[in-house]
Amino acid sequence: MDKSNARLGWLFASPYLIYSLIFFLFPLLWATYLAFTNWNLIAPDYEFVGIQNFIEAFFSESVRAAFFVTYKFLGMFVPIVVGGALLLAMLIHSLPKFKGLFSVAFFLPYLASGVASAIVVNGILSHNSPFNIWLRGTFGLDIDWLGSSILAPLIIALMMAWKFAGYYALLFVAGLESIPKDVYEAAEMDGAVGIKKFWHVTIPMLYPSFYTVTILAVGLMFGIFTEPYVLTGGGPDLSTHTWQLEIYSQAFERLNAGYGTAIAVINSIVTFGSILVFRKILEKWGAKHGWE
Amino acid sequence: MKKFRLVLLLITVGFLAAGCQSGSGNGGGSDGEVEFEFWAAPNPAQEAFWEEMAEKYMEEEDNVSINVTPMPESPSSEAGIQSAIAAGNAPAISENISRGFAAQLAESSGIVPLNEFEGYDELIETREMEETMSSWQFTDDQQFVLPAYSNPMLFSWRTDILEDLGFDEAPRTFEEVVEVGETLKEEEPDKYLWARADLVKPNWSARWFDFFMLYNAASDGNNFVEANELVADEEAGIETFELFSEMAEGDMLLTREATDPFESGDTVMMDTGPWTFSYWDDKFPEMEQGETYELTMPPVPEDSDIENPKTFADTKGLSIYASATEEQQQAAFDFINWVYSNSENDLEWFEQTNLPPARDDLATNEAFTEFLDENPELQPYADNIPNAVPPIDSEQTAEIQELIGTEGLNPVVQGDKDAEQAWEDVMNAIDGVLE
Repeated sequence: MDKSNARLGWLFASPYLIYSLIFFLFPLLWATYLAFTNWNLIAPDYEFVGIQNFIEAFFSESVRAAFFVTYKFLGMFVPIVVGGALLLAMLIHSLPKFKGLFSVAFFLPYLASGVASAIVVNGILSHNSPFNIWLRGTFGLDIDWLGSSILAPLIIALMMAWKFAGYYALLFVAGLESIPKDVYEAAEMDGAVGIKKFWHVTIPMLYPSFYTVTILAVGLMFGIFTEPYVLTGGGPDLSTHTWQLEIYSQAFERLNAGYGTAIAVINSIVTFGSILVFRKILEKWGAKHGWE
Repeated sequence: MKKFRLVLLLITVGFLAAGCQSGSGNGGGSDGEVEFEFWAAPNPAQEAFWEEMAEKYMEEEDNVSINVTPMPESPSSEAGIQSAIAAGNAPAISENISRGFAAQLAESSGIVPLNEFEGYDELIETREMEETMSSWQFTDDQQFVLPAYSNPMLFSWRTDILEDLGFDEAPRTFEEVVEVGETLKEEEPDKYLWARADLVKPNWSARWFDFFMLYNAASDGNNFVEANELVADEEAGIETFELFSEMAEGDMLLTREATDPFESGDTVMMDTGPWTFSYWDDKFPEMEQGETYELTMPPVPEDSDIENPKTFADTKGLSIYASATEEQQQAAFDFINWVYSNSENDLEWFEQTNLPPARDDLATNEAFTEFLDENPELQPYADNIPNAVPPIDSEQTAEIQELIGTEGLNPVVQGDKDAEQAWEDVMNAIDGVLE
């Protein structure tokens, strides 16, 4: 690449780079600094407290809960959303026409407000909803959906999967469309049909889509806020208490902004580390199928 | 190369300028004009009221310019205010400030004491709010909030269901509440006494509408925390937890989310604020005071004064921010002084929002008589303003109330602790926070 091309590249990239500098890098540095203080966002004065905030966070029951709850959400959400999105994508891909229309239709939940969706789910699962009245009347089942520490996270994971499956399905559809027909023909000649073809050809050929979707889904789980905030408030017994709920509670309800920021820094390190692990696993799987 | 650098520099400057532009419009004007920002509660009725007041005031005062905007909710109005203070974009004045949040702001010098403004004493006298303000006084004898409205929280009772159960009137004591609950479960096992999902949730603000309604009644309005010291009434606290425990044991509490359970007759009692009535007018016109429901102050333990019980005051008010200039602060105070010096403005507020103005004379002032006659369901709220206790004024309000939930109310309702153990655990945990 010659110098003038490089300059042109920098020029075109500069708006985003400057945007990132102002809205991501500076706040990140500022937040890292704040994590070592006892500032409460309001007081004009504050003190440098060293690593005290980090030590406190390390021994905090609610921070520990946020750490484990996130992995619990990961374990539920990632398989459901990846499986659901793949299923939707196969469905859309197999349609003879109106693929675009159905893709948009399945994408729509992604645009729905988290608060509105949570209120709707709350209504559906409320004690006197038609659904629960039917369950009680027909099967004698009286289920406390959001009061159970097993069901509440599952419901939030399902709700998030409903919201994101259509979006991720678009990425899978793009992946399916890009698989060359002659790969399938070659596989058929080798005797791969039905589920075998799907398992040994389609899935490995979708590696780039799997990679993107999984990493996006993993990252998403470290930033959940609205759904548990509206539906459960982090309960019952901290079973839906996420990183963002803890940060919000500390920084804005208890005015411990310095401590809240320390938790945010820990959250970003955990997020970065977890994504790195998932990347490595996915890359290993990709390499096994010829993706370098 | 020079051209490239120039273009890059221009883009950088453009972005920085756009990013750093202040949108507050909170500065002083020219030619002696004072301009300030007023943040109204994010509620169309309240916003419309303050916009109208600002317009009228600006017609009289040429040198004042007030910009009324709804306060940001991201995700709560408190968080929006904190972010604005941190970013240097706080308004000169805002409403929607609770006593607990004011304590946090005052501790950090984010707001200024109102009693130091010229004209403060006249304002309190003109608006007839000496008694109300006495319960709002902070432990350092300062007044950081001017309460705009005060909702004494009441309980609604389904009198039609009570009659079917053989009760002529709503229960007034804890014992009578349990008796109603027991009869209800015998006659209608699928129904509940009270539906409140928050009873098993740790949300600190939910404690205002369950624990504090009953604790204030049981303790005759005894403070919970004073000057960062725990002064809670032990007997009242245990009695309150015992009531919850008995209701939980008798399966009288529905702690799951439910849609309009009181209105549909699935429950018999409900904590009720005046905002409920416009909803009932729209969706449940069959809810008629005296026919289907009755409003009462919270029940009290046996041997307590049932004639004049206390309750929690859902009350919020106006605060002036320290970040504003002195001219803006005084202009903001003069504006609220002007608004509240005329009871007609309070009447207009009451009509538009249904929220009772925080005045001692609301039930007796003739300015409000006609409106209260037309809206009899609001009369008990007006009558009980002096019996309503505002939230605790500790900067640790959120932590204290969260502990009341997690260490006390939540486990009691879930049957994991008895009342005495729960009270002891709550006290120990709060002591740890206040140390």
